[in-house]
Amino acid sequence: MMQFFEDARQFMPILLQGAYVTVQVAFLSLALSTVLGLTLALMRMSGNPLFYVPAVTVITGLRGIPIIVQLMYIYFVLPEIGIDLSAFTAGVIGLGVAYSAYHAENFRAAILAVDRGQYEAALSIGMAKAQLMRRIILPQALRIMLPPYGNITIMMLKDSSLASAITVSEVTRAGQLIASSTFKNMTVFTLVAFIYLVMSLPLTALNSWLERRFAAK
Amino acid sequence: MIEVKEVSKSFGALTVLKSMSFTVARGEVVCLIGPSGSGKSTMLRCVNGLERHDSGLISIDGMTVDTKSKTIGSVRAEVGMVFQRFNLFPHMTALGNIVEGPVQVRGRPKGAANEEAMALLHKVGLSDKAESYPSQLSGGQQQRIAIARALAMKPKAMLFDEPTSALDPETVGDVLAVMKDLAHEGMTMLVVTHEMGFAAEVANRVLFLDRGEILEEGPPSELLKRPQNERTRDFLQRVLHPGERTVRDDRP
Repeated sequence: MMQFFEDARQFMPILLQGAYVTVQVAFLSLALSTVLGLTLALMRMSGNPLFYVPAVTVITGLRGIPIIVQLMYIYFVLPEIGIDLSAFTAGVIGLGVAYSAYHAENFRAAILAVDRGQYEAALSIGMAKAQLMRRIILPQALRIMLPPYGNITIMMLKDSSLASAITVSEVTRAGQLIASSTFKNMTVFTLVAFIYLVMSLPLTALNSWLERRFAAK
Repeated sequence: MIEVKEVSKSFGALTVLKSMSFTVARGEVVCLIGPSGSGKSTMLRCVNGLERHDSGLISIDGMTVDTKSKTIGSVRAEVGMVFQRFNLFPHMTALGNIVEGPVQVRGRPKGAANEEAMALLHKVGLSDKAESYPSQLSGGQQQRIAIARALAMKPKAMLFDEPTSALDPETVGDVLAVMKDLAHEGMTMLVVTHEMGFAAEVANRVLFLDRGEILEEGPPSELLKRPQNERTRDFLQRVLHPGERTVRDDRP
């Protein structure tokens, strides 16, 4: 047991550096996937085939291909056509794009769950489509989509570990490197697991705060 | 003010409006009555373009109602609509609901819109509910806020789609009172209703619709008291005296 704490003290600074990268990857890819997801959802619901067809194609494609394969594609294949990204950028873009499909479906479900009468009431006072979405529908959809959004956020935090496969030096990769040179697997991966758990707790708390904040009046 | 000319509409194979024509003059109150499925709500919803009519012409104060046109929003802004289920915006206060249209659609300054909204709240008897959310209000109160929301746009005409059908009986009176006041102030109103008392007292004309057609029309004193058409008589009998009916004999 003493050995564990001694090792932990030695490994922790390196792992925390990795954790910092994990937070960056997770946060940036969450922002990217949220914006892309909302765009895809609105395109899919536009009723215009020019937007609808590409959105459905992209969503279906992204959901059907494992995230790790998408990451490999971006990091290893794109350079062959001249798009050379750093591992970190490739990781953020890969996770952001991959998760946009899940956000899109969540947003779409939430928007569809808003009562039809709300559209009619907004139209009846002369609102234009964009105004109606921004002022009436999206604020109500927000309340519906928050619980699944929180879920996806935590999944993204954990799935940022997939970026280790393309050499992003986040916490899982840092752990792998330490473990392979010290063979202290139990210590290292216990610490890594603990770090993920600790990072997910504030997210859970933030989400329940948001849910209360936007709860139905 | 409202002109409906040979308007037809069908949902798939079902024809709901058969070449319907009528007008509502400025300041006139017209009630649409008839059994469910007669097309009265659909007709009303066509007037502000919430439903698209297949053929015929609808115009409001000379503006053509065309759901595909870019100007449909400005036509809708001129016509107030009150729904059976209120459809208040649940994430806004009563006051917020009322100023939403003037501020967002008309671009009115917030202060002025708030003042006008308070005057409207006073008019519908809910001055003390300005900061309440819809879920904190009774059905009748919500419907009065919905009327105030429609009036805030200073509409040229008001459409009412069974405004009291979803209400608890004890709150119906307050809503009808607000509607009567409006009628007396000279508002042009087209009202789909089952409230025969309201029709008798307030309407200038009553149209009886059945199966997408106007079967009979006239002043309420005539149509409600001495209906000429057999189906009008049958309908009024059932609405006015629901308890007295025996099971209808549907043998041919």
